Parts: sequence; structure tokens; C-alpha cells
Amino acid sequence: MTDAMIEVTRLTKRFGDRIAVDHISFSAKPGEVVGLLGPNGAGKTTTMRVLTGFLPPSEGGAKIAGHDVVTDSLNARRNVGYLPERVPVYPDMTVREYVLFWARLRGRRDARARADAVIAQVNLSERRDTLIRNLSKGMRQRLGFAQALAHDPPVLILDEPTIGIDPRQVIEVRDTVRELGRTKTVLFSTHILSEADHVCDRVVILHQGRIVAQGKPSDLKRKLRPDATLEEVFLSIIGTERGAGK
Amino acid sequence: MTSWIVFRREIAQFLTTPFAYVIGAAVLLLTGILFNRDLNISFSTKPADPALVPSILSFAMVFFAPLLTMRMFAEERREGTMELLLTAPVRELSIVLGKFLGAWAYFTLLLLFTGIYQIILVNITAPDLGHALSAYIGIWLYGGATLTVGMVFSALTENQIVAAFLGMVALMLLWLADQAGQLFSNIDVAIIFRTMSLQGHFSTSFASGLMRAEDVAFFAGIIAVMLFITAQILESQRWHG
Amino acid sequence: MKRTASASIVIRRRTLGMLGNILGVAGVVVGVIGLIWTGAPGNTVIATFAFGIGGILLWAVATPQEFTGFFSGRQVRFGTMAIVSTILLIGIVALVYLQLLRAAWTFDATQATRYTLSPETERVLSRLSSPMRIIGFYSSRALTTREIDDQFFRLYETATNGLISREYIDPDEQPAIARRYGVQYDGQVFLANVRDDGTVDLATLARVPRGDAQERDITEAIARQMIAGRLTIYFDIGLGERGPLDTTQEGISAVFAGVQESGINARTLDLAQIAAQGGDIPPDASAVLFVRPLRDLTESEIQTVARYLDAGGALLLLTDVLFSEQPFLSESGAFNQFLLENYGIGALDAVVVDPGLSAQTPLDVISAYVFAESDIAARLDPAVSPTLFSVARAVDVKLSETPSNIATGRVIFTTDQAYGETNLTLLGETNTFQYDEGVDLPGPLTTVAWSTNVQTGAKLVLIGDGDFVANGRIVTTDGAVTVPGNGILFTDSVVWLTELSEEIDFQPQLYGQALPLIFVSQQQMDLIAFITIIFMPTAVLLIGIGVWMRRSRR
Repeated sequence: MTDAMIEVTRLTKRFGDRIAVDHISFSAKPGEVVGLLGPNGAGKTTTMRVLTGFLPPSEGGAKIAGHDVVTDSLNARRNVGYLPERVPVYPDMTVREYVLFWARLRGRRDARARADAVIAQVNLSERRDTLIRNLSKGMRQRLGFAQALAHDPPVLILDEPTIGIDPRQVIEVRDTVRELGRTKTVLFSTHILSEADHVCDRVVILHQGRIVAQGKPSDLKRKLRPDATLEEVFLSIIGTERGAGK
Repeated sequence: MTSWIVFRREIAQFLTTPFAYVIGAAVLLLTGILFNRDLNISFSTKPADPALVPSILSFAMVFFAPLLTMRMFAEERREGTMELLLTAPVRELSIVLGKFLGAWAYFTLLLLFTGIYQIILVNITAPDLGHALSAYIGIWLYGGATLTVGMVFSALTENQIVAAFLGMVALMLLWLADQAGQLFSNIDVAIIFRTMSLQGHFSTSFASGLMRAEDVAFFAGIIAVMLFITAQILESQRWHG
Repeated sequence: MKRTASASIVIRRRTLGMLGNILGVAGVVVGVIGLIWTGAPGNTVIATFAFGIGGILLWAVATPQEFTGFFSGRQVRFGTMAIVSTILLIGIVALVYLQLLRAAWTFDATQATRYTLSPETERVLSRLSSPMRIIGFYSSRALTTREIDDQFFRLYETATNGLISREYIDPDEQPAIARRYGVQYDGQVFLANVRDDGTVDLATLARVPRGDAQERDITEAIARQMIAGRLTIYFDIGLGERGPLDTTQEGISAVFAGVQESGINARTLDLAQIAAQGGDIPPDASAVLFVRPLRDLTESEIQTVARYLDAGGALLLLTDVLFSEQPFLSESGAFNQFLLENYGIGALDAVVVDPGLSAQTPLDVISAYVFAESDIAARLDPAVSPTLFSVARAVDVKLSETPSNIATGRVIFTTDQAYGETNLTLLGETNTFQYDEGVDLPGPLTTVAWSTNVQTGAKLVLIGDGDFVANGRIVTTDGAVTVPGNGILFTDSVVWLTELSEEIDFQPQLYGQALPLIFVSQQQMDLIAFITIIFMPTAVLLIGIGVWMRRSRR
């Protein structure tokens, strides 16, 4: 498992008395697209924030490309591209300035060339000198991808990248994720199960801070019944959890 | 290095948004009016005060510094870019340092603009340029210190207005501490308060043409401590998500 | 209910623990700084350390889980490390600040080098050998004044490697000490010698005047202090003089106080009594002053004075024309003859009338010429600080054929039109005078003269006016100086006689001379106003709007 790009071991995150993530462990290999599934408040965002080095874990740990997110945080962060749920932008910057800034900040020496390449990759070349405030929502989402890819990281962490955009763009995003998944390790969170089914090699299902199931979408489905959808898988798991809990 | 990148973005932000120009125009208007008033008063009666503009700025910065710094972290948080900054392979201190240097560079630019007053004085009289230089070096450090105080409050609260208000209150207290002697009858207490005050390291030394190593150390120390505290605040906020 | 109660206790304990943590670390840091600062573990340092350890114990006891968490838990460790490192940084900054404060490295940026000691001051300080202290009385209200003054005092301390030290006392906090020093106003500064045990020798206390030229005031005070106690001058009161404490218009209490203030011991002596007992003038007398005696000296008194002079004494003689029997220094009297024979100077029985240069009447003689090469007259520029003698007596100086080892000279001189009215009776009774060829003395006439015996060191100054330093002549009732020259003549005579000048060999530095005033035409003024108030801010604003417009169109 040393070759895993993402390795999470008994990761726990508490906020005061509330446990947001409770001793979860999973890993992701290079070139794998892993879906992080679960309803709102299941701990998806918290897990991702720990992996990106934004939040320090309360217990346990995680490694990105072999670098511990606590003890070797800067190196871990160097290997992650992160797209938060709401695309963070500087409205007064142009597209190019924005991507250039992140490429530079994350240590790319050839920042200019890289920025242009990434902007082309997300189809924003024509708008490269447009102020971000004047971009449409979909364009902003693409810009978010450009930002996450600015330093060409081996690991991408995408927090609900399909939320709040129109269906045509959702398909676009899914294609992008699949495309990226060929060369990079992608951790992708969603609360829409069908999406994970389409995109992910493997899913990790979180509920109330715990992993309730993980595996290939097809395997998970097979366990229940061959033609089950992931929704049904999920509901059945939550159902047994509840039953077991009581 | 990473501070340099943050610095460049920060200074670009100052130079591309109208806000900084409005502040700059306001500062120049204020100093301009007071400069002319002083010129009229001292006309043919006394030599020009080379420390006039720096002394005006020493008070003006109580209000302008928090205005310059209030958006620094509050805006990053509102737009969510703070999350990206804190997940970039950059230390908090580098971010804080870069932002500070950006604001300080803007302030330096503003100071250079006020150099027009010295040019005018050179043309109409023979001001003590050494004295003026000392006052300018003093206000430069002083301004840096006020900016870092503003930054602490910007890091501390989400709300820009609250950050600016708290910054002004804090700087006002630091400014007024100079007058501690009028407040405390015990001179040792008064001295401690004056030592803590910004004015106490400016008005009777730099502004009078005397540069003292301990005053430089005071402002440099304030800058270092405040930047460090700001970085600590940012880091501590990670724990609360 | 129970839950909320226990929760509130937890919070209290946590707050307590946090407080203990902060206080503990702060205590230890302050203790370390104190240790480095003082160089030895004093009581305060130990107390701070104890305080710090107490704080850490409080932290451990109040929140044991947090205390142990420091060694295992991440968040607590981070929080504690943040506090500790911040306090540590503050500590380092404070230490650097204090060290630099002590080192007192300054750079004087002013053109007039206002914060640099002048070469004259440095010369005075280089001769300083015993410790002195500048003692300032400042209440908290005068704190800014104290800061400004301190910058000067610090220069003296640095220049003398601490031989001159500084001490500040708050007169509000310690009124008893302030009373003992005789503090009159907030911000008053004193100078005194320091005893071997480090305490201030109050007997040597001198006031430092507060004027515009701070450096000069302090340096002069130090120079005086260096000779203070070593010089004593005596005012004679045995020949009918007015006492030095007489504060009336005719008294000389002002100059007497002035002499005392300048660090010279001033005492009185009774020549008649000393001579009657066959005694001597005290050997510690740097100079003896005869200020307008009424009667002449007897033979035994002359002998007493002669012995004093032979031992290198110094005399200041202020004489008036007196319309009485046997007046002081009568031209034909024994004392006058003694002076002429032995020292080449003497008084003349003639009143100076100077139609050429005088005040209300030709009898109010103003100094016309001054022999600036003599030390006494160096500061007596007739154009700036003339002297004024009301009814002056002419004095006689032998410029050649002087007795052996005697050097003489004039100090003040009248115009050519002056003459010496010798008909004193007529003058005294009718107040009329006119020049009688062959009878009256032709001008120019000398009114002040000096003489010295280069072998014995004896010195004399003879001034032909007895009341030129009377209280009413040198200051008005409201304290303003009227005739500056009179005071300077007196002071510099004393300085020369007591050889004080060799102690204070510095010229007062000129301050505030440097910077020119502002002169501009109204048009220039309007242009400046336009540029600074309208053009500059508008330009900045327009650039801003321009940049913003251009960008926002993108």
C-alpha cells in the first residue's frame, strides 16, 4: 500500500464535542477515481479539508503521495490540487492572472506556460483576459478546475464539483473528471449516487462520520442485488446501520 | 519567495482597485490642506517644520491603516480563497508577510507622493533635509507598525467593518498612550504606557530629527510580533474549520 | 440544572488553566529577560521565576487533562505552543529593545547637529574626573519634557562613560525629596557631585537653568560644578558696605545670589575686625570683593590686604566718588598710594563727564571703547552689551614704568570728549559741571582697569562705579535685565579674578541660528495651494478611476 497516492488511517476530526469524522481509513492508488459519498453532514468536506492540509486531524493521519499531512504538510500540499465546493475567486483578477498566481504560489517555475496550458485545457483561452467578476457560473467552475490543476498535481480533490451548475455542464464536469482520472488520482465527493456510479472506479460511503461501505460500485451493487442502483445500496446500508444502532 | 508572490498579488490588488486611490487621494487632500495652513502660519515668522507631514500622517494612520488592512483577510474568507491559500504549500507567516509587504509598499508609495511637499519647501526656503529624512524614516516604520496592528484585527474577525473599527480603537489607544502622563499620576506607570505607545517612539525622536536604535527596534518589534500573532491566528482558525 | 452547573465549572477551570498557562510562560520569560538584563539572579528575578512556575502549576492543577494533553494532544499542544512562542517572541523583542535602549545608539539627522555635543562640551567633559549626577524632577505630566531632556542627558552619560549619571524623581510621589532639593517647578533639573557610596552630595547641589540653549546650560552647570566648592569669594562688610543680602534697590543681593548659583561659594568677611585682631584674610579666598565701601582703609587693614595680595590674592574694588571725609580710595589716601606704588592702578578724585556718549545726563557714562583683548572685556561689545555707570569715577592706570612683575591694562574707556570734573564740592552741592582747562582731567578717561602680579599671581580689578550692579541697576522690578553689560562686567571680572575662565573655556554655542524663514509671493502661495490641495488628490483619483474603468471593461 506504500504506492497509494492517498492513504487515510484511522482519521478522526472533532469540533469541540462533535465528531465530524470518526476513525476512517481508506486509500486511493494512482490513476484511480474515488468517490466520497454520503448525505450532507456525513463528513465528506471535513475529510477533504484534512487531506488538503486545511484542517489538522484530531487523531490518526493521512498521507498524500507518501507525505504525512501533519508532519510533512507542505510537501503533501504540493501534491494536491483542490477545488472547494464553492469556487473561490478573486473577482478583480483576470482569468490568466488568477491561474498564474496559483501556479506560482504552488511553486511552478514555468508558471506562464503552465497557466496558458491549463486555461486551454478548460477551454477558457478566449476569456483569459476577462475579469473573473464577468464570468458565468459555468466558466467559474472551469476556472476552479484550472486553478486546481495549475501546478499539475498528482492528486486532485474535488468537493462536489457538480453542485449548482446546469445539467449540460454537469456532464462536461463528469467527462473532465473521468479524463483527469486517467493520469491522476482523483478524490471526488458527491451526494448524488448516480454520479459516482458513472465516474468512479471505487466509492467510499460515509455516514455520520463513519465509513459504512467501500468498494467498486459494481461490487457494492452485486452484494445487494445485480440490478440495484447505488441509491438502493446506500439506503439499505443506512437502514441496517440505523437498525444496528438501535 | 512565496511571500514575494503574495506580495505581488497584494500590490496589484491595491493598484487595480479604486479603493486604494480613494484612500490615497484622501490622505493627500488632508496633508495638502494642513501643509498649506502651516505655510500660511509660518510665513515669514518661523522656519518650515520638516516633520510636519510625517507628524500629520502619524495621526492619520490611526484611521487609514485599519482601512487599508480591513479587507485583507476578511475578503479572502468571504470569497473562499482563504481555503486555497491555506492549502497551498505556503506557511501562514509567508502569506501574512506577503500581504503586509504589499500594504507597506502601498504606504511607501503614498509617502513618496507626499515628497512633493519637501520639493516645494526646497524651492521656497531651505528646510533641514536631514531632519525631514529622519521624520520620514520614522513615519515609514510607524506606518508599518500600524498596518500590522490592523492586520491582527482583520485576521481576527470575519467582518470588515468590525475589523476596521477594532483596529482604529486599538491604534487610537496606542496613540493616546503617549499622553499617559496626563492620566496616571505615577510616573513609572506613565512611562511604561508611553513606552508602549507609537507616538512615544516617534514624536520626540524621529520627528525631532533624532534617530534612535531603540525606536527602530520598537517598530520592527511591533511589526514582527503582530505579524507572528496574525499568522498564529490564521493557523488557530484551522482548528475550528 | 446539574449539567449546567458542572459545565460552568469546567469553563471556569479551563479559564483558570489558560490563565495559569499564560502567566506561567510570561513569568518564566520575564524572569529570563530579567536574568539577562541584570546579569545576576536578584530577588525580583527569583520572584518572577517563582511566579512563572506557580502559573504553570496552576495550569497543571486546574486543567490536568489539558496539561497532559500538551504532551500528547495536537490541538492543545498547538494552542500552547502558539501562546508560548508568541510570548517568547515578545520577550526577545523586549530584550533587544532594552539592550538598545541601554546602548543608546543614536544618529543626529539635523543640520544644526542639535543632538550632538559640541566640541566645547566635550572638552569640558574630558576633564571630568569625579562622578556627577543630573537629577531631574518631573511629574507624570511633564513626561514628554522628560523624554526630550533625557535625550540630552543621555549624551552626557554616554560621552563620559557613565561618569555623569541620570536620575529622575517624581516630585508628586516624593514631595519630601523635592522639598529638600528646593524644587520650584515641574521639570526642574539639578546637578550634584556623587559621593563614593553612590549617593548625591547635596552640599554640591546646583540648579541648571532652563533656557533655549539646553546644551550650553547643562555644560556650564557641569563646568561650574567641577570647580564648585574649590572657589570661595568673600564680600567685605567691614567698611560700611551694604550687606550682600540687602534686597533693596541699592543692595547687591541679585549678584550675590548669582555668584552662589554659579557654583562659587560666596561668604562675607569683616576686614576691620580681622585687622583689629591681627588676623589674616582666609587663605581659601579666591577673591575679596569691596563693593562700594564708605571709608578708607586704616594702616593695619592695608597691611592685611597687602599680605593677602602677596600670597596671590585677588581684589575686586568698586568705588564711587564720595563727598565725605576720608572716602574709600581717596586719591591721596594711603590705600590708593599703596595700590599705585605696588600695582600700578589707583582711583582719581574726578567724576567722569562724557558729552560724547552718555544716557540722560553726561554723567550717565556709557562704555565707548572696550579693550576686548582682556579676558574681562571679551564679552563686552559696546554695540551689543554696553555698560552704564551713573556717576563714574575716573581711574588711573600706569601703562609704563610699572613696578616690577606687574602688568596693567584698561578695560573700559570713554570718548575723547569726556573729561574728569575735579570740583567735587560744586558738583555735589549744585550738580553743575564744566570743563576747566588745566584743572579738570582731559579725556579720554579710563573707568575700569586691571592689574596683576605675574610672579605672585595677585590680581586686581578696579571699577570706577560702586553701584553699577545694585539690584535696581541690573534688573527691573519685574525681573527683566536692563543693562546686560553691567552684569557681564561683574561676572567676567569675578571669573578672571578667580581664574574660573581657565575652568570654563568654552564659547556658548549658537542654536537655532541655522534655518531661514519662508518667503513666498502670493502667486507662489496660490500655486502651491492649487498643486497640493486640488491637483495632487484629483490626479490620484483620476488615475484610480482610469485604471478601474479600463479593467472593469474586460
